Amino acid sequence: MTPSEISASAVWPAFSPPRLTDGTIALLNLQAQIDGLEGHSTCAEAATLIDLLILRGLILGRISDYERAAQLADRLVHDAVTDAAAYMARARVRAVFHRFSEALDDLDHADRISLQDTAAKHERAAILQALGRYDEALAAYEDAADRGGQFEQVGTLAGFWADRGETDSAQRAYLESLRSYRGVSPFPLALLDFQLGTMWMRHDRLDRARTCFEAAIGRVPGFAAAQGHLAEVEAELGDPETAITRLYPLAAASDDPDYAAQLARILGEMGRNDEASGWCRLAGDRYDALTTDYPEAFADHAAEFWLSAGNDPEKALRLARLNIRVRRTPRAYDLLAQALDAKAAGAASARCSGVQLTHRAAIRS
Amino acid sequence: MSDHFSGPRALSDPAADITDVYAFPAPDTPDHLVLVLDVFGKSGPSAVFSDAVVYRFRIRPVEIAAMGPDATFAPSQTEFTFDCTFDVPNGRTDTGRPLQRGRCLTPDKRTISFRTDDENGGADGSVRVFAGQRSEPFFLDVRMIEKTATTGKLSFKPKGSDTLYGTNILAIVLKLEWRKVLGGGPLFAIVCETLAAGKRPVRIERVGRPEIKNVTLSWKQFDQVNKNLEIRDLYNSEDAFDLKPDYFDVYRARMNANLAFHDQLDGKVDWPFDRHGNHPLTKLLLADFLVVDASKPFAETSYFEIERSMLENRRHGTPGGRWLNQDFMDFIYTLYVNGGNGPPVNDGVDGPIAWSSKTFPYLAPRNPPKAEAA
Repeated sequence: MTPSEISASAVWPAFSPPRLTDGTIALLNLQAQIDGLEGHSTCAEAATLIDLLILRGLILGRISDYERAAQLADRLVHDAVTDAAAYMARARVRAVFHRFSEALDDLDHADRISLQDTAAKHERAAILQALGRYDEALAAYEDAADRGGQFEQVGTLAGFWADRGETDSAQRAYLESLRSYRGVSPFPLALLDFQLGTMWMRHDRLDRARTCFEAAIGRVPGFAAAQGHLAEVEAELGDPETAITRLYPLAAASDDPDYAAQLARILGEMGRNDEASGWCRLAGDRYDALTTDYPEAFADHAAEFWLSAGNDPEKALRLARLNIRVRRTPRAYDLLAQALDAKAAGAASARCSGVQLTHRAAIRS
Repeated sequence: MSDHFSGPRALSDPAADITDVYAFPAPDTPDHLVLVLDVFGKSGPSAVFSDAVVYRFRIRPVEIAAMGPDATFAPSQTEFTFDCTFDVPNGRTDTGRPLQRGRCLTPDKRTISFRTDDENGGADGSVRVFAGQRSEPFFLDVRMIEKTATTGKLSFKPKGSDTLYGTNILAIVLKLEWRKVLGGGPLFAIVCETLAAGKRPVRIERVGRPEIKNVTLSWKQFDQVNKNLEIRDLYNSEDAFDLKPDYFDVYRARMNANLAFHDQLDGKVDWPFDRHGNHPLTKLLLADFLVVDASKPFAETSYFEIERSMLENRRHGTPGGRWLNQDFMDFIYTLYVNGGNGPPVNDGVDGPIAWSSKTFPYLAPRNPPKAEAA
């Protein structure tokens, strides 16, 4: 199938043919898995618990889950110093916190203990991708390709091409991954929808982005990041009321300041400055705390906030510079360029309407 | 934060993961057969069945086709299936757990409705169904099993540590009056499956005999033919009653290698390979279904007794099948290591946190969450 044929597809994104477990059930069972593994007895169980916490953190937008995963991973390495799986687990958590070089060190250590398997190769490839070392990442994915299942292979490539902005390749891999999926868990497909939606946001194809985020939410209604991005798209498409209705519960409940930041920005753009300022303060305080504790992980999102609703170009520039030291990706360079422009311009407006969605989307990951 | 996948382990559906299958004559009611399908091991209090999965019991009358070294079963082509499905939860049970409504489609197309965690279950004439969270009946010391495989030495301690102590599973229990509901018998072969629901359901997993995929097939290091091959997904995709010849030799080689590894753990060979180079148990174990004689009275420790009697050219004296409380790991290690020619192997774990009872729904009530228990 050629890319043009895919682009002409009447129904897009295509929904997966097999029936999936209802998203509410999937979240109940994710919780049940985590609860059941507390007080784990083996290294494999501890590694699984770490994976599950990362997954829940990703779906529900809970930084506390990532923090708990990090604690468990450190303890696991301490307790199972000769077990490659422990280092693998810690590498995954370190990658989540954008501590990429340390994550690669852990993978190297795991490799010395026992030869890396397919999962480890995938993990290494994902880190190389996050670092913007795309050619190496692609080679690493291909190296692991003969062992993984078909869905894992194409799904990974869909994410890779989406990250690179190769829309035709990403879309082709996405459709192929839907066709090859044989599971019933909705999480893998919802995550793919989300990655494609983010790609379309970056390309200013907001209609397609909305369709993807709605598909992700259709599969997992509690998918916080998809809800947050959908709100962003809705606001840009001229429906800010729907966007703020969607964002209120997320901003109030989540320990991730992204939702409060988006809410503050949209309220500000609507002229509701009094309401915006409260959310802006909340987001700013939280970003300050997070960039103190985990500077590498939150430098990019915090810089974005200080460039927009936070209105502090100095701070944004400092964080954008830190971010580019962590990873030299095209998006990191875009963020730095925006921060330099904002600094040169003196100051962003209080409502920060000068930063366009395409730029915002370009720096979100 | 990173957007990439956190790995397939975290992304699979635990409610489709079969942990155990049991089949035994009802200890409380004559002429009734009980089948149990457990999924979602180590499940926390919020665990529920998937609405996208068909939980299937497959039952076929079976004959003993050969005795002695070539002992083999011949399952009938006639099959009786019970399909259980579940709705999205709606409300809470008395214990605060999510409440699901379920239904069981019987071989004669009757539908039995039930609510999860209701100990009375649902009933329709000669079939009764329970589904809900219960105490994990299985018990074992996983660390010492792994250590045994790693070191090549039996590593069980006199007092082991039960990896599953105090944990829960989701169980489906079928109790049926077998002479009315099933045709043929009294010897039946049972396999349970989870399938992705849809117009053409896709098999996710199948289980018949216990510890085939883990203890008996999972270790790769002893298999000189396919040392790096993870064969369990492939194995799951096969029809237990109709193994395709394409991969049969892959399973056979792996099982021969792993059974031989276990046999030498006591320093002697109790299971010499046959003239075709196969372990004497391989063929019977690859017939991966539980065989139960529904006409025999209930027995506590009868797993594999039918198969042993076939190998020894004698008539079986128990129902075979598998009862919930049997100390299975002791049994299987004794069988694999010395074939009963030496002292019993004890894994140091002699029971679960709570024994199953002899009245419906048999499995002990669920254990409280760890925080509550503490």
